[in-house]
Amino acid sequence: MRVAFYPGCVSKGACPELYVAVNAIAEPLGLQLEELTEAPCTGAGVISEQNPELADALNGLTLAMAESKGAHLMTICSTCQGVLSNHNHHLKRDSARLDKVNATIGDQGFRYGGTTEVKHLLWMLFEDIGIDRIKAAIKRKLTGLKIAPFYGCYILRPAEYLGLVERPERKTYLEQLIGLLGAEAVEYSGATKCCGFPMLTFNRDKSLAMAGNHIMEAKDKGADLLVTPCPLCHLNLDGQQPDAARVLKKPIDVPIFHLPQLLGLAFGLSPEELRLDHHVVPTKGALEKVELKV
Amino acid sequence: MTIDHDVLVLGAGLAGMRAALEAAREGADVAIVTKVHPIRSHSSAAQGGINAALGEGDSWESHAFDTIKGSDYLADQDAVEVMCREAPADIVEFEHMGVIFYRNEDGKLGTRAFGGASQARTYFVGDITGQALLVTLYDQILKAGVKVYEEWFATTLYVENGACRGLVALEMITGELHLVRAKAVIDAAGGLGRVFEPSTNALICTGDGYALAYRAGAPLMDMEMVQYHPTTLAGSGFLMSEAARGEGAYLLNSEGERFMKRYAPNKMELAARDVCSRSEVTEIAEGRGIDGNVLLDCRHLGADVILKKLPQIHEMALDYVGLDMIKDPIPVRPGMHYQMGGVKTDATGATRLQGLYAAGEVACVSVHGGNRLGANSLLDTIVFGRRSGKASAAYVKGVAGSRGGENVLHAEQARMQELLARPYTGETHARLRLELATMMDKHCGVYRNEAGLTEALKRLSGLKARYEKIAVGDKSRIFNQALTFALEVGFMLDCADAIVRSALERKESRGAQSRTDYPERNDAEWLKHILITYRTGKEPELSYAPVTITQWKPEARSY
Amino acid sequence: MQFTIEVGRYNPEGNYDERAVAGKPYPPPWDKASPRRYQTYTVDLPAHAVVLDALIAIREYQDESLAVRCACRSAICGSCAMWVNGHAHLACKSKLTTFTKDGKTRVEAPPSMPVIRDLVADMTPFWEKHHAVKPWLEAKQPEPPPMEEYRVPNAAMEELIQEVSCISCGACLMDCESFAVNPDFLGPQALAQAYRYAGDPRDAETKERLGAYSGPGGIWDCTHCYECVTQCPKGVAPLEQILKLRRLAVDAGFTNNAGTRHADAFADSVKHSGRLNELTLLPRSVGFFNILDQLKTLPSAFNMIRAGKLPPLIHKSIPGVQRIKNIFARVGGRFK
Repeated sequence: MRVAFYPGCVSKGACPELYVAVNAIAEPLGLQLEELTEAPCTGAGVISEQNPELADALNGLTLAMAESKGAHLMTICSTCQGVLSNHNHHLKRDSARLDKVNATIGDQGFRYGGTTEVKHLLWMLFEDIGIDRIKAAIKRKLTGLKIAPFYGCYILRPAEYLGLVERPERKTYLEQLIGLLGAEAVEYSGATKCCGFPMLTFNRDKSLAMAGNHIMEAKDKGADLLVTPCPLCHLNLDGQQPDAARVLKKPIDVPIFHLPQLLGLAFGLSPEELRLDHHVVPTKGALEKVELKV
Repeated sequence: MTIDHDVLVLGAGLAGMRAALEAAREGADVAIVTKVHPIRSHSSAAQGGINAALGEGDSWESHAFDTIKGSDYLADQDAVEVMCREAPADIVEFEHMGVIFYRNEDGKLGTRAFGGASQARTYFVGDITGQALLVTLYDQILKAGVKVYEEWFATTLYVENGACRGLVALEMITGELHLVRAKAVIDAAGGLGRVFEPSTNALICTGDGYALAYRAGAPLMDMEMVQYHPTTLAGSGFLMSEAARGEGAYLLNSEGERFMKRYAPNKMELAARDVCSRSEVTEIAEGRGIDGNVLLDCRHLGADVILKKLPQIHEMALDYVGLDMIKDPIPVRPGMHYQMGGVKTDATGATRLQGLYAAGEVACVSVHGGNRLGANSLLDTIVFGRRSGKASAAYVKGVAGSRGGENVLHAEQARMQELLARPYTGETHARLRLELATMMDKHCGVYRNEAGLTEALKRLSGLKARYEKIAVGDKSRIFNQALTFALEVGFMLDCADAIVRSALERKESRGAQSRTDYPERNDAEWLKHILITYRTGKEPELSYAPVTITQWKPEARSY
Repeated sequence: MQFTIEVGRYNPEGNYDERAVAGKPYPPPWDKASPRRYQTYTVDLPAHAVVLDALIAIREYQDESLAVRCACRSAICGSCAMWVNGHAHLACKSKLTTFTKDGKTRVEAPPSMPVIRDLVADMTPFWEKHHAVKPWLEAKQPEPPPMEEYRVPNAAMEELIQEVSCISCGACLMDCESFAVNPDFLGPQALAQAYRYAGDPRDAETKERLGAYSGPGGIWDCTHCYECVTQCPKGVAPLEQILKLRRLAVDAGFTNNAGTRHADAFADSVKHSGRLNELTLLPRSVGFFNILDQLKTLPSAFNMIRAGKLPPLIHKSIPGVQRIKNIFARVGGRFK
């Protein structure tokens, strides 16, 4: 299946392991990733809140690029998904806004017709690729692992922009997938909460307390690791975890996996191929539970 | 604990907070005692709007005439004049305080039509007018720094030497009883809807203010005048604002007919509420209802009007009957909504008990007489709330504070302890309330007659006897609602008794009182108010007061 | 239909009568170390019943000791916000069939607030925040004469009806993630009301308000998680109002704060390269000369470098970046 692949800034920046991992699992999933190399950053909501018109134009450009490829726009980041879904929702319904966008991007040789579907890899697994294909690709069941899902706000809220009203099952895909891969999903309230990243730069301690609290809750419920479809969450949950531990004044030490890394493990790829050795919090303990070594 | 203030307001709805604000402006040391947080008050449920003759071509006389005709000539015309003359300034004052009233193209306040009115003079904020006024007023109370005793439940008024000097209240969070002394008390405790089942009223509308004043010696007036609103939602009985019909909605029977043409050919759906409710009951009784309801049809108004001007009832219909007003007619029926009668006051809010003022639904000035017009109740609260606040602040300047009252506090403490200590008897607040309220709806509803009312009186005496044995199923001090619910049932029994006795007394049909055994209005004998006064150990005393007529002579009433 | 309701019980006195919870009181639910105590009830109600119907049925006919605030039953008075299956909802608006999970519905006071008893939360923090934003009109002068209204377009009033629709139930604050870690955060309800006045053309103190709301605990302490938008039962969408305040504040010149610097740095990076430059975002947000706060971030940066998670030192632009620059030139506004 061809997809217009939108990697997002972070997988090409601070989380290169995500980019590597998603490329590694594309083949077993039958995904042809046609990367939109010229698509801009979504603005992560920051530009949207300050200048909605500018954000409409930037995201309209990306949506137009995907439209011209005639394929779904696939994201691997809850934040990219949320921002693109938000703008796409409005551009599909508000012709005045769409006209404005087309006036702006038209000068750059683009036009958005309002037909692109924006889908996170997580959604595509269930809605386009299919459970059977995933099952067929599994070479190593993750039996014995207790995994806490961590969605990231923007893939869940606001529900109406993300199609969750029509497809409420999207709120359960991570749990379903964890089960499908042979592991056990940990139920805890933090799964749908905010990692704190949006205010990391300007409200550091509160941001870290959020991240730390959620991981600790999962840990208390027995989680060996957290899995997230959002690299921004990953930056806070993994990248800042030692600092979060300092804020909470207790050790945390729970590894955080990107969604494609978890899939890759089940597909039989090695931890190195998935760059599981490039995390701030060592993944060693969790991997040993499924008899893998880094 | 004993606390002293100049003016103490009971209740923090629109009337209470408006009174408190005015008393504070007049320099009085004022405080509010309320059993719920002010924002939870039932004023917030008033949907449609607030009347005033403010627009060009309108006049206070026209507003007054509509009100008096709506009242079936039972309203006191001097009081109605006061209300209608002062309405415009009061509404503009709320606008200046920040209420986001709907505007017309000129950016001036705009109106919608309402039942029983000869002009569109209802000012509004969507269909959340009461809420918009209430929040604005609450914020003014914050700004003015008025002390509010939140979740304090009044158990009795404190009367000393024939004057009201404060009250005793239960602080719910601690379970402690306090004596709050004041030189004047303003009773603004709201309505009594829970005396009837079903009712549009909130669970907190239990007639506390009527019963407290009544037991303290202030007479109640026009208590037989209980308004049934024509459009309450099937099942739950939630209010579907008159604003819907003001915007042009139809009432349909099972044959899809706009039946109001047979009852009120000129005003149709915008006839007065008593007229519409009776028409619906007749339609249903004659077999043209749908499961005991008629239909409120808004479909032709279009999605834009519904979503912009009636968003709340649109949401409620979706939530509670699963119907979308844009696409479906909504099943509605008449439901108990408002008590026109109440504690008898003059136009300054003064009751016949010295030191006690009353305002809002609990009071009876009387501006609503036999039937209140839609959007006149919010107006009543802010006009007479303000007036009672001002009058009480003037009154307290010449009064010394009480130094007594501890005996009343101790008596209340003993009463509560006895109630709490009582073992389980099988009589619970929930059973008694439900029996009382369904009985009232059955025998004292839209249509009444001697046999039903006599039966009601008999049933009431049985319920009162059982109430003496009520047990409280919660022994805790902290937030003991079982205790306050039990006290509320006591209040409700007093209210019901006053309503039934007054209804039995009035041997005619006028406004909301429709006697099948006396179907005509009888001005010769009954153009007068009925007052009821509590007497310890004896049946209450019924008496009469003349209706004040200024310039509008009673005439036949048709819409 | 039979419904099973699990109710979080708490009474600081602990003396429930024999028909209520037996035994001793349990520690306050906000003490995370202690498990909550739940009591299970079964009620028979019509299929369309809401959670509040069940609670009323319980306290009327099964257990009078169950404390719960409610009044209007129809999502107007705002009394009955509580946790239903782990999120803040109005009990009167939550259908039992929707909220039955694994055969039961769990109802409790929100752990984010102190609890008075059972389902009755101490809402003091909520009301204090509401008060703190000065939720009243400071009338613009000259005030029109007593019988005359302010002349404002209806659109300006309709713009505020979303905020005025707030019933102060507190559901947004109960589930606010920033409030959970920062008790000083004004929170969604208060800030939505703040916008209701800051955005009112009749208000005279818009600028002072925006200045005050830009301070600690204000608009920049929101983490943008959309919980409040999701939980609000009246469509107030508090986050959207906070974002409006942010725009107004920046336009009014209140830019000397980390939130604005963060936005500026973000936009700047996208403008110049088409993508985010994580390396400069942090120092620019904190402020280049805020050495102390910069130092605080060093250990994390070091950890990330050691793990090989360092963004490329030479920040590369996306191909075709000129397009992005052109778009910024055209509609970039402040970010041009």
